[in-house]
Amino acid sequence: MTPILADSAAPRSRTQRQSILKQIMGMPAGAIFLVFMTLQIVCIAGALLYPNEFRYLSPQNLTILMKAIPVLGCLALGAGVLMIAGEFDLSIGSVYTFTAVLMATLVGAGVSAFIAAPLGILAGVMIGLLNGHITLRFGLPSFIVTLGGLLFWRGAVLLYNGAVQVRFDPEPIFTSLFSGTLLGVNAAFIWIVLFVIGFHLLLHRHRFGNHVFATGGNPGAATAIGINTNRVKLIAFAIAGGMAAVAGILATARVGSVQPGQGAGLELQAIAACVIGGLSLRGGRGSIIGIFLGVLLIHTMTDVLLLLRAPGFYLDMFIATLIVLAAIFNHLIERRGLA
Amino acid sequence: MSNLLELHNISKSFGALTALRNLSFHIGEGEVVGLLGDNGAGKSTTVNLISGIHKPTEGYLSVDGKKTAFTCRSDSADAGIETIYQHTALVDSLSITRNIFMGRELTDRFGFLRQAEMREIAMDVLQNAVHISGIDSPDTLVGNLSGGQKQAVAIARAVYFKKRVLLLDEPTSSLSVRETEALLNQVLKLKAENVSSVLVTHNIYHAYQVCDRFVIMSHGTKVFDVDKADTTINQLTEYVVLT
Repeated sequence: MTPILADSAAPRSRTQRQSILKQIMGMPAGAIFLVFMTLQIVCIAGALLYPNEFRYLSPQNLTILMKAIPVLGCLALGAGVLMIAGEFDLSIGSVYTFTAVLMATLVGAGVSAFIAAPLGILAGVMIGLLNGHITLRFGLPSFIVTLGGLLFWRGAVLLYNGAVQVRFDPEPIFTSLFSGTLLGVNAAFIWIVLFVIGFHLLLHRHRFGNHVFATGGNPGAATAIGINTNRVKLIAFAIAGGMAAVAGILATARVGSVQPGQGAGLELQAIAACVIGGLSLRGGRGSIIGIFLGVLLIHTMTDVLLLLRAPGFYLDMFIATLIVLAAIFNHLIERRGLA
Repeated sequence: MSNLLELHNISKSFGALTALRNLSFHIGEGEVVGLLGDNGAGKSTTVNLISGIHKPTEGYLSVDGKKTAFTCRSDSADAGIETIYQHTALVDSLSITRNIFMGRELTDRFGFLRQAEMREIAMDVLQNAVHISGIDSPDTLVGNLSGGQKQAVAIARAVYFKKRVLLLDEPTSSLSVRETEALLNQVLKLKAENVSSVLVTHNIYHAYQVCDRFVIMSHGTKVFDVDKADTTINQLTEYVVLT
């Protein structure tokens, strides 16, 4: 049988005529990749031209960057998967602090860090499940439920241990495993790279990832085809909570102590990284590599501004501008149907 | 010969509202049935009932002559019934391949997707089973397709998973004239392969083009059931409008 509309298929495939630039733009996270590379080229060129004034490539600066990225990276990966599934978690900053305090006090009481850390992650997962359960059981917006979570767990930190710093003194192996160096690369950075690879496989190469995109992209269709969207969302909530705890472990191992107020605002930075990385606030769209590039971009921008001796108080203004520009940019791409 | 799908004296109430009253009809093997009726006649409730979303208050369904009770969507899917909705059940942000295999992905034993294999099958189904114009790759995002192309993807999904009955709910309402032609031809082509279709529509002309038999509903029950050979478009219109 002949194709019914074969003769009308005249227009040649547009992709064939597109330039390489447009092809990159059309890929998931392609646009953010271009922005990131441009920034890197400018920074590296600047550092080579003015090695004394702009110390971007100095080992100290690179180490600072590698140490700073993993914490926000873990938070953003968890928050991002949940966002793609169509829900938010504003409580991850507080959960990050709470689970870190929990782990540090357990270690302080003589528990091995290798037991305390998994317990911290377990606590994060349970809190995530609780958020998810309340959201789905009562059909509430997760924004509201987890806003409650943000305040609740921030208070719980103070109730549990007061407004004091907690020292973290684990076995030396634990410290070197999470904040040592391997071949000159910071261990935490290696962890985040492994997490990025793992999450990429899970979200883009695994059945579960397909269901996450379907759940966030068109919940009605996902249900109609037989996907249990509540289960998918619940798992995503658990991942967000668990990754918040992992971020807490990485941060605590690096610094050697926990401040009760350290997580404030991190949840918004994590969501910002996701938005910069091309995730849609409505769910169903985005990529793991985009989330990671978003994190890298936030930290590179902050770092460059600090190196240029921009006043620290105003950093937020630059980040804010970046977020809004990224959102506008993503919106335009979505409307043109490229992303 | 037993009928593929039969509805026996089905009634459905939502609280005080009776949506269906004592409805019975059947769908034969390789038959195209037009389910016609004005708005509010109970067509959508019937579709939801057959696809397992609603359960009948009274009466029952049978498949191949055996009494069955669908409790959810996947029950009807297992029986070989695929519903293609007005607003098609596809995810815009995913590729055609991923949509065709959504919820029924081919994976290895760890749950990782066998992407190359799925892509190849999707390509084959798109090229050979359903002819969709203007699609060059199964990697195209569904959000970039037109309404007709989207429905073709939904049909491709049904074809690949060897469905026996397609329930098409107002399939032509958002299609261009050209796309409508393509869709109706598709229904005939599937019929040649012994796949039955139910066209739920209030466009009598579209139904008249392809259907073998017409079931007309009004106020939640069947008012007319006639073979195409025994009726005319005028008579069908009269039944839809006047009952």
